[in-house]
Amino acid sequence: MHELSLALEVCRIAEASAAPHPARAVRAVAVEVGKDAGIELENFRFCLEALLSDVPFAGARAELTTLPGTDLRVTHLEVDDGRPDD
Amino acid sequence: MAVRTIDVRERVMARNDELAALVRQRLQASGVPSFNLVSSPGSGKTSLLERTLEVLGEELGIAVMTGDVQTQNDADRLARRTERLVQAVVTGGACHLDAAQVTAALEAIDLERTRLLFIENVGNLVCPASWDLGETAKIVVLSVTEGEDKPLKYPKMFRMARYAVLNKIDLLPHLDFDLDLAVRYAREINPELRFFFTSARSGEGLDEWFQFLRAEARAPAHR
Ligand SMILES: Nc1nc2c(ncn2[C@@H]2O[C@H](COP(=O)(O)OP(=O)(O)OP(=O)(O)O)[C@@H](O)[C@H]2O)c(=O)[nH]1
Ligand SMILES: [Mg+2]
Repeated sequence: MHELSLALEVCRIAEASAAPHPARAVRAVAVEVGKDAGIELENFRFCLEALLSDVPFAGARAELTTLPGTDLRVTHLEVDDGRPDD
Repeated sequence: MAVRTIDVRERVMARNDELAALVRQRLQASGVPSFNLVSSPGSGKTSLLERTLEVLGEELGIAVMTGDVQTQNDADRLARRTERLVQAVVTGGACHLDAAQVTAALEAIDLERTRLLFIENVGNLVCPASWDLGETAKIVVLSVTEGEDKPLKYPKMFRMARYAVLNKIDLLPHLDFDLDLAVRYAREINPELRFFFTSARSGEGLDEWFQFLRAEARAPAHR
């Protein structure tokens, strides 16, 4: 039930982490979910995808990886810096 | 287009834990112990606090904040039992209190006059276990109408708690609730749990609870 609060906090962290970079758009938000973090994975995915479908993310992917442990961690973002491919 | 990776590596609970640490520091600096009351809805958290405020509110300078999803009912009930301001935190849908809400509520509490702080969490045996509020200890309230197996079903809450209150024992004659079994299950999850057996209705068992609170409260200021 607390998955929505956690997804909101993931979005806050993602936004804050993307802010200093000259990125056009966040393409993916990668999150590690500990198996003992007390999180219902599909519920969490649903909440996070719903939030990522809205501004300022506009459809960024949620990339969830489960691993042992109790931590929930935003590992990295994929951003599109808007420049043409080199 | 060029896709780049930005390293983040941030624990999602990091901000809550930072705020909780600040709350803890602040309460410790004032010498005020704090108890976070957690339970499923309706186990009797507010009733226990009503009783506690009636008897000890003034003596121990008890301050209370109470979290609720949608109403201020509990804060209103508690306000009738104390002269002091009862901080109502309406979570607006969230199933738990967080350290930011406690930080804000603490602003309005005069810690100088406070020897003991209670935080009544939102009724929910799952979510509040994950949020550190900066409290001294969590106290899990389990009422005898809920079934003996709740500690096994909701182990995290019973693992995170230091104390357990088995409430509504006035109802035992009407139920087949096995008190010893409930205690055994809870101790399987957390052998350190200290128990209280209470009825907020009849008052049974409250003396021991009150004694405990007297012993835990900050010593009165010398004047
Ligand atoms: N028989 C009996 N009833 C009790 C006892 N304690 C509480 N109740 C009743 O149980 C109901 C719920 O009590 P509350 O104190 O509101 O429970 P709560 O845990 O604060 O509920 P939420 O904040 O909604 O989660 C009320 O009708 C109380 O009168 C008790 O010891 N014995
Ligand atoms: Mg209540």
